Amino acid sequence: MTVPEAATDEALASRAALGDNQAFDEIAIRYQARVYRLACRLVGQDDAPDVVQEGFLSVYRNLTSFRHESRFATWLYRIVTNAALMHLRARTRRPVESLEAFLPEFDATGGHCQTPAELQVAARADELIDRRQLAEKAAAALGRLPDLYRSAFVLRDLEELTTAEVADVLGVEAATVRQRVHRARLMLRGYLNALTKVKS
Amino acid sequence: MTDISCQTGVEALMDYLEGVVPEEMRKTLESHVAGCQKCAAFVASYLATPRILRQATAAAMPPELQRSLLEFLRTQRGEGPPQKD
Repeated sequence: MTVPEAATDEALASRAALGDNQAFDEIAIRYQARVYRLACRLVGQDDAPDVVQEGFLSVYRNLTSFRHESRFATWLYRIVTNAALMHLRARTRRPVESLEAFLPEFDATGGHCQTPAELQVAARADELIDRRQLAEKAAAALGRLPDLYRSAFVLRDLEELTTAEVADVLGVEAATVRQRVHRARLMLRGYLNALTKVKS
Repeated sequence: MTDISCQTGVEALMDYLEGVVPEEMRKTLESHVAGCQKCAAFVASYLATPRILRQATAAAMPPELQRSLLEFLRTQRGEGPPQKD
């Protein structure tokens, strides 16, 4: 059976659910790069291949439960994210240093403690730090976020799902997503700021 | 219009950007940032953070992993190797 190139995700999913394995291969080919990138961001590069396999296998096994109530992509992200979070829970985790120390500081009146130049330096991190070093530090910083913040930040800001879609993927309210993403942004902004000041 | 502290502005920033703060708060925030160089600088770095992290963590999937994924899925489905055309 030939699968048309322009088939929608949802059409491919319906065919795959009826046993069309070529349609499922097309889904895997279409999404593998995004799923790998998502897995790297959620669990790190070393564990990402396992999560990619577990995620796609879970997608395959659950195709008949896809009810077309959300976009197929959102449903797939939910399954892969769950696979990643289960992977994180299962593995023995080394204690990681919190990023709490990088939250913004305010004086007694609620004013910023830093100067405008100090506050803006994080915005130039990609100009001031070697690209490879920044990639290593960024991956490590993601790993230092609490799982709840990392999953919301990765889905909303790095994978660029809408807040409503992230809420759907994580099974929480939109307000909870905003709060978690905000907290992650504050920590990561402060981390980039500290990193950049050291290098500049 | 009453002003707010930088800290209050930072706490409301995400909701402001998502368009879910009340109208009065939106105006107060915009007025505060317009007159506060520190907050303007903070907002710039806050907005840049996702972009920088997005670019720095955009890992490409190795080709051998792409091949092994399809083989893995076919094996799990009980299929043999793909037939050559």
